[in-house]
Amino acid sequence: MAREFQRGHKAKISDLTPGTDLYVGVQITAPGLTFDISCFGLDANEQLSDDRYFIFFNQPKSPEESIQLLGAQAGDTESFRVTLDRVPPHVHKLSFTATIDGAGQMSQVGPGYLRIVAGGEEVARYAFDGSEFSTERAVMLGDFYLKDVWRFAAVGQGFDGGLEALLKNFGGEVAEEEPAAPQQPAQSAAPSFAPPPFAAPGTPAAPAAPQAPQPAPSFGAPSAPAPVPAPAPAPAQPVHAAPTLAAPMAPVAPTPPHGAPSPYGQPPQQPAAPQPPQHPQYGQVPGQTPPHGAPAPAAYGQQQYAQPYGQQPPMGMPPGGMPPMGMPPGMPQGVPQGAPQAGAGLQAALQKYRETATGQRWTPQNQQLMRVDLAMGGMPVLARQGSMVMYQGKVDFGYKGAGFSSRIVGNATGQEMQLMRCTGRGQVFLAEDGAHLHPIELQGDGICVSAENVLAFDESLQYEVRRIEGHGIPGGALFTMQFQGTGTVVVKTHGVPVVLPVTPTTFADCNAVVAWSAASQVILSSQVRLRRNAYPGHSGETVNLQFRGAPGNFIVVQPYEV
Amino acid sequence: MNQQLAGYAPTPVAARMENHGRHMLKVAMASGQDLYARTGSVVAYEGFVQYEPNPPAARQIASQWVTGEGAPVMKCSGDGLLYLADYGADVVVINLDNDALSVNGTNVLAFDAHLQWGAERVKGMAKFAGQGLWNVQFAGTGWVALTSRGTPIVVDCGRGEDETYVDPDALVAWSPALKVKGKRSFKASSLIGRGSGEAYQMAFSGQGIVVVQPSEDSTDRLRVRG
Repeated sequence: MAREFQRGHKAKISDLTPGTDLYVGVQITAPGLTFDISCFGLDANEQLSDDRYFIFFNQPKSPEESIQLLGAQAGDTESFRVTLDRVPPHVHKLSFTATIDGAGQMSQVGPGYLRIVAGGEEVARYAFDGSEFSTERAVMLGDFYLKDVWRFAAVGQGFDGGLEALLKNFGGEVAEEEPAAPQQPAQSAAPSFAPPPFAAPGTPAAPAAPQAPQPAPSFGAPSAPAPVPAPAPAPAQPVHAAPTLAAPMAPVAPTPPHGAPSPYGQPPQQPAAPQPPQHPQYGQVPGQTPPHGAPAPAAYGQQQYAQPYGQQPPMGMPPGGMPPMGMPPGMPQGVPQGAPQAGAGLQAALQKYRETATGQRWTPQNQQLMRVDLAMGGMPVLARQGSMVMYQGKVDFGYKGAGFSSRIVGNATGQEMQLMRCTGRGQVFLAEDGAHLHPIELQGDGICVSAENVLAFDESLQYEVRRIEGHGIPGGALFTMQFQGTGTVVVKTHGVPVVLPVTPTTFADCNAVVAWSAASQVILSSQVRLRRNAYPGHSGETVNLQFRGAPGNFIVVQPYEV
Repeated sequence: MNQQLAGYAPTPVAARMENHGRHMLKVAMASGQDLYARTGSVVAYEGFVQYEPNPPAARQIASQWVTGEGAPVMKCSGDGLLYLADYGADVVVINLDNDALSVNGTNVLAFDAHLQWGAERVKGMAKFAGQGLWNVQFAGTGWVALTSRGTPIVVDCGRGEDETYVDPDALVAWSPALKVKGKRSFKASSLIGRGSGEAYQMAFSGQGIVVVQPSEDSTDRLRVRG
């Protein structure tokens, strides 16, 4: 679930996601303007002491590749990959900035955002639009900064002077108009080929044309293979706007000319130039023979197909720099075997799913898994039977019964809610059916949780089973557990729940309600009749619960009717 | 309309296997690089891809897989893009770099045909998980895609002197170097009449990792559908 940030908001990265391998996407567009989006790696004094950590189109990655510029993709005008745990210690802050290339001011920008994606899921989003700015020509959008731990701040601070002012602010200086660097991709990849060496005219990322980057075409952005940042196009150089590398080059940047990836064998005679600009991805390499001469695949090169084909290196033609690390030379190289984002190997692939240890008793490992360290706090945990997926250490599981479970007979199927008691020393991992888990820490206050939604709780809590009877509730009554005292209850929900304040008109479906603060009062609502009449085919009776209480009370509802 | 949906367009191919979102796998196919995929897992493909269900090679390797039935994998070959999914399970892509990994059979989604692989029953664990626990061992260098119901977690087994115990239904994968044994962790008294619900675990010891999913749903949906 993406957390919405506003200007000035801050949060620990670890609160957003346990992962440290983050994707940062920036969308910023304005009619007729182009933007340079860059990332500054600053030292403890907020100075750019090492200009290798100024990540921009001419320098798409930092030396150890902890920060990489990925190009336009997935709706983002520009994107970065940041591996926080590989960021060297002298870098204390990563500042993401956008500057207008050419004339214009920030007040013209349309709605945009900076977002953080981890593990394929957006975890944070800072949205902004032009009304927050005026005549600025550069803006610091957001920072990752190190203060004990890595944190994220939504900044949204503008600078009138554009990139130069920004650089000065960071203690850097502008060399004259981005000198020779952009030549490099062209030189390393182009020379030996006939004139229209690489297609990709008007690559969306190449801002030669003064048009706002359009979301759709930008997917084809050839310079944006996710894990392998190909040298980005050089906006300052119209001459070289074309020779953008058209596909994921090898992870090793200076690739020999043959490395020029051609999709399914671009027929040599096809001139590169007439390619429509929306399809820059077909980086053609004229002069290259179709790979297998196989008629079928060759057809691909001709069609205005979805981009992916354009991205593949030529079949059976491993470019010199191509074999990614760890690949034996004899291995077929037809499709990019490029190392995955985190590098090759099992450990790297699984890195983002690693156990996270925080030294607390209850630690959410991800949205669906909870770890409890029994040694900490020293008290047993009561958990729903069958919810243990794994444990380490010496833990005993015992039946927790009598008295309690006999009274909680009663949901629709007549099943009992059964608990087990986990004692000992060790870590127990709890989960059930991939449901989202939410630890709720009680400090003397009380909460009522629908019995079906209780996953586990500290034995130190006092609990009491309550029954809400009502005509029409499946099974005759809704069982809730009221917890009181000091400790943690883990509540499970199907999907992302909503927390509503209790107002005079708060109603919830009795099947969807998960929990409510104990001070609110529950009343059965009679609106059910209206509802039943409204749906003649609706056979079951559904009862709504109405909640009443002083301000400050809340209810939690899940998007799922059990 | 295109604008809103544009965000779901496939990203440029950068590797043989990639996630498209959390729940879908995108495989870049090329001739000469065959792929084994779970039968029934293809949700879409582009290009010229051919499928051979129950290929002889797999039949031999997986003869122990499930007696009497063919191996639930098919061989895919050709050029194009393949999109695989398993009923909305999370997909985890792993690039093996001379590593080895044992994967619970129902959690295998696809793998490179050139990997060394073999199917075997977990010793002593037959029938523990209802349908009998069998697993597939991969070794070599190449790509493997696993499924997990919910975001998985990876735990180092070697931490501490105690073993790691895993519910067989929640187990996804583990390092083959680990020692595995079945364990019933409950006192006899609690097994009589009323158990605590956690009857059997697999105990892992040694140096390596264990991957666990946050769900005890190990139903093989692709198989159930038939």
